[in-house]
Amino acid sequence: MKPRGGYNVNLAGGPSLTVEKLAPPEKLCIPLHSRHLKFTELRVADGDSVSSGQALAVDPKAFSIPLPAPCGGTVGLTQLDGHIVMEDLTGPAEATHDPEVPAHVPYDPGNAAEKRRKLMELGAWQFVSNARTLRVADPQTAPSAVIVSTVHLEPFVARGSAIFGDNINALIRGLEHLQSLLEYQEIHLVLPDIKVDLARNIQKIIRGHAWLKLSEAPMQMRYPFDNPTLLARHLGLFTEGDETVWFLPAAGVIAFDSALTYSRPCTKRIISLAGPAVKEPQHLEVTIGHPIDNILAGRLTRDENVRVVNGGILTGVEIADKQMGIDAECSGLTVLEEPTVREMFGWLRPGGDRRSYSKCFTSTLQKTFEERLSTSLRGEQRPCVACGQCVTVCPVGIMPNAIYKYLFSDELEQAQRLRTDLCVECGLCSYVCPSKIDLSDELARAKVRIAEELGPAPGQQTEQKEQTPTENQEEGEA
Amino acid sequence: MKFLANLLDKARPKFEAGGPFASFKPLFDAIDAFMFNPLTQSKMAPHARDPLDVKRYMSMVIIALLPATFASFYFFGWRMLPMILVSYAAGGAVEVAFAVIRKEEINEGFLVTGLLFPLILPPGLPLWMVAVGVIFGVLVGKEIFGGTGRNLFNPALVGRCFLLLSYGGPMGGAWIEPGGGFFGRLGQYAETTVDAVSQATPLYKAAVDTQYEPLSNLFFGNILGCSGETSALALIAGGVLLLLFGVASWRVILSTFISFGIMTALLVEGNMHMVLFHYLAGGLLLGTFFMATDPVSGPITTGGKFVYGALIGIATALIRLKTPLSEGMMFAILAGNMFAPIIDEVFIALHVRRLRNEK
Repeated sequence: MKPRGGYNVNLAGGPSLTVEKLAPPEKLCIPLHSRHLKFTELRVADGDSVSSGQALAVDPKAFSIPLPAPCGGTVGLTQLDGHIVMEDLTGPAEATHDPEVPAHVPYDPGNAAEKRRKLMELGAWQFVSNARTLRVADPQTAPSAVIVSTVHLEPFVARGSAIFGDNINALIRGLEHLQSLLEYQEIHLVLPDIKVDLARNIQKIIRGHAWLKLSEAPMQMRYPFDNPTLLARHLGLFTEGDETVWFLPAAGVIAFDSALTYSRPCTKRIISLAGPAVKEPQHLEVTIGHPIDNILAGRLTRDENVRVVNGGILTGVEIADKQMGIDAECSGLTVLEEPTVREMFGWLRPGGDRRSYSKCFTSTLQKTFEERLSTSLRGEQRPCVACGQCVTVCPVGIMPNAIYKYLFSDELEQAQRLRTDLCVECGLCSYVCPSKIDLSDELARAKVRIAEELGPAPGQQTEQKEQTPTENQEEGEA
Repeated sequence: MKFLANLLDKARPKFEAGGPFASFKPLFDAIDAFMFNPLTQSKMAPHARDPLDVKRYMSMVIIALLPATFASFYFFGWRMLPMILVSYAAGGAVEVAFAVIRKEEINEGFLVTGLLFPLILPPGLPLWMVAVGVIFGVLVGKEIFGGTGRNLFNPALVGRCFLLLSYGGPMGGAWIEPGGGFFGRLGQYAETTVDAVSQATPLYKAAVDTQYEPLSNLFFGNILGCSGETSALALIAGGVLLLLFGVASWRVILSTFISFGIMTALLVEGNMHMVLFHYLAGGLLLGTFFMATDPVSGPITTGGKFVYGALIGIATALIRLKTPLSEGMMFAILAGNMFAPIIDEVFIALHVRRLRNEK
């Protein structure tokens, strides 16, 4: 499937590539829930003192992924609901780069099981996800292929180049470690199609390695083409329908290197702190559990009427309670202003200052520019007027407006027939909708309902297998 | 500005639940949001949204209609103003009444219908007929289906169809002689000026008497006809705007024009002058640019739009040249509206087939 649709929301306040290392706070508030992980099985008791790297809790539903303690200290389980609070912190030994670490990993495919166990224990495995479900991949199975992507396009999550910094060697070593876990499967390294130094350096280094089975996949820099599921489809890795494809983001490769080369637990994250309401948008290196209000203090343009989003503006989740710390999967904080001024006859203005997916504003005549978007809905909710913008923007080629119509009349079978399951929940259909319908959310909920109530589409598997040859023939003739 | 904002703020409590005018909240909300952007926020991801809303989307169509509206004032005089006002007032009343009863928001789709409707009527039509027509159109064409976005037919055309079938006389004879000179009828307020028996629209004359109006008159618009449809120049300007805004589907427009041209050429045995005549005469341009492209009553599938346009183009040519009716655009679009859901069914099936190998 060729990439189609997609749209870059040009949000003001993009993060610079500088990474500021934040001093460890006095106490950590470690959330037990993050986007895909729920660390419900506690491994410590209230008041225990733990040492750095010790598992605080595990997620029993995700192959017992541990939540390693970021540093030594006393554990409190009762102060904050849904959090582990750590006080009396004794910082881990300051991470120093051992100068004797070789630039490359010796070729050693024998101890894959041992390596997987180590990755799991040190919290690096949580970065390996199944490209189809986006859940943590099963460490006991072998994938049919692996995608490693250095591209993160959503405004705003931490950028690949900020995560690597100048440490290309860590990336290369991480890839080599990854390779040693696999047998014959190929690693697809997704790089931006524009010529950036990072991409060029990586290419220069990896071309020398015959045993590193890498294929470079240049990618159009249009959101959401960095989505794991989309990448797997674009690279042609989903042909049978039941393949397991692993996906590793940039941070995952660095975590592999840190776990297997230095035996360090993954307790730090490089996140972006960006958005129109941030004074100096940049990247931060923070400890998991770093209190968010501590991070935001003094860094925002205003103290009230802001919305802090965990992740980017298109798929992120609003952080309701600012007390919460940085969770184990956080890749960025985006801060938006809330609208406070009612503009008179705003809908009549020519709109040279507002960028739109449609061509209904004079901004169409200008070059693209960054816009200080707020959390305003910018319009009122209306019934669908069938403008078709959601169809053209959809990166997977489904018809959100038609699916919505069926969902509105509660015809779940029809929604299934229209392939709601292909939706990758990128949020663009909701973003462009002039009727301000939360299409992406409707589709996401329908996906869950279809899976629960209807199961796999009747006859889809068998029909597909029978018809594949004719389809190929048709394409060949065309 | 501040004064208006204060006034609205002061009036707001009266329209909230428990206030004396609580049932008119939709009307208040519409006026309030019309004047000042609401502060409504996104409740979930995506946290920021595109600036396009339905109001803006519909006002783009109105901007594209402005050249044709101006042409109607120029050729037929100030009588257009009461016609437009009556259309907005009567149709708006129905819209508000339904919003109040349903306790839903007032939809902006009516802003287009209210302007489009007088433009497809004879300029000398009695004002009460304009009111009756628009009320019927909005009520039967839209509200009984559930309002904007759920209507099967184009409401303006439903209203016009009703008037044509009920009041055939005025609908076929309430013409105004187009003004000449530099100012046209811009300074005049003309009632019906033409004897219905002796004068007729170019299409009628072509069908009955085989007399053909010069193409230049059709192009500029100094001919008899419905108020907004006479000037091809103004309509093409509006159509180009619609295409630039991306509000109208170029697929529908292209396929209507091409299929109409081919069908007409076949029926007139290749007489290119007559093909051109039929392109410029009657409601083809207005209907294609502003009615056939109505996204709600047309198909939503990409391929379906081509078929839908082709259906309208062919039907228009057939009605014009092979039936006693001299004009066919209205019935062709209403027929197209009728077929739109089934066209969509077919193309959705094809769409699903195309997606079957996606995993």
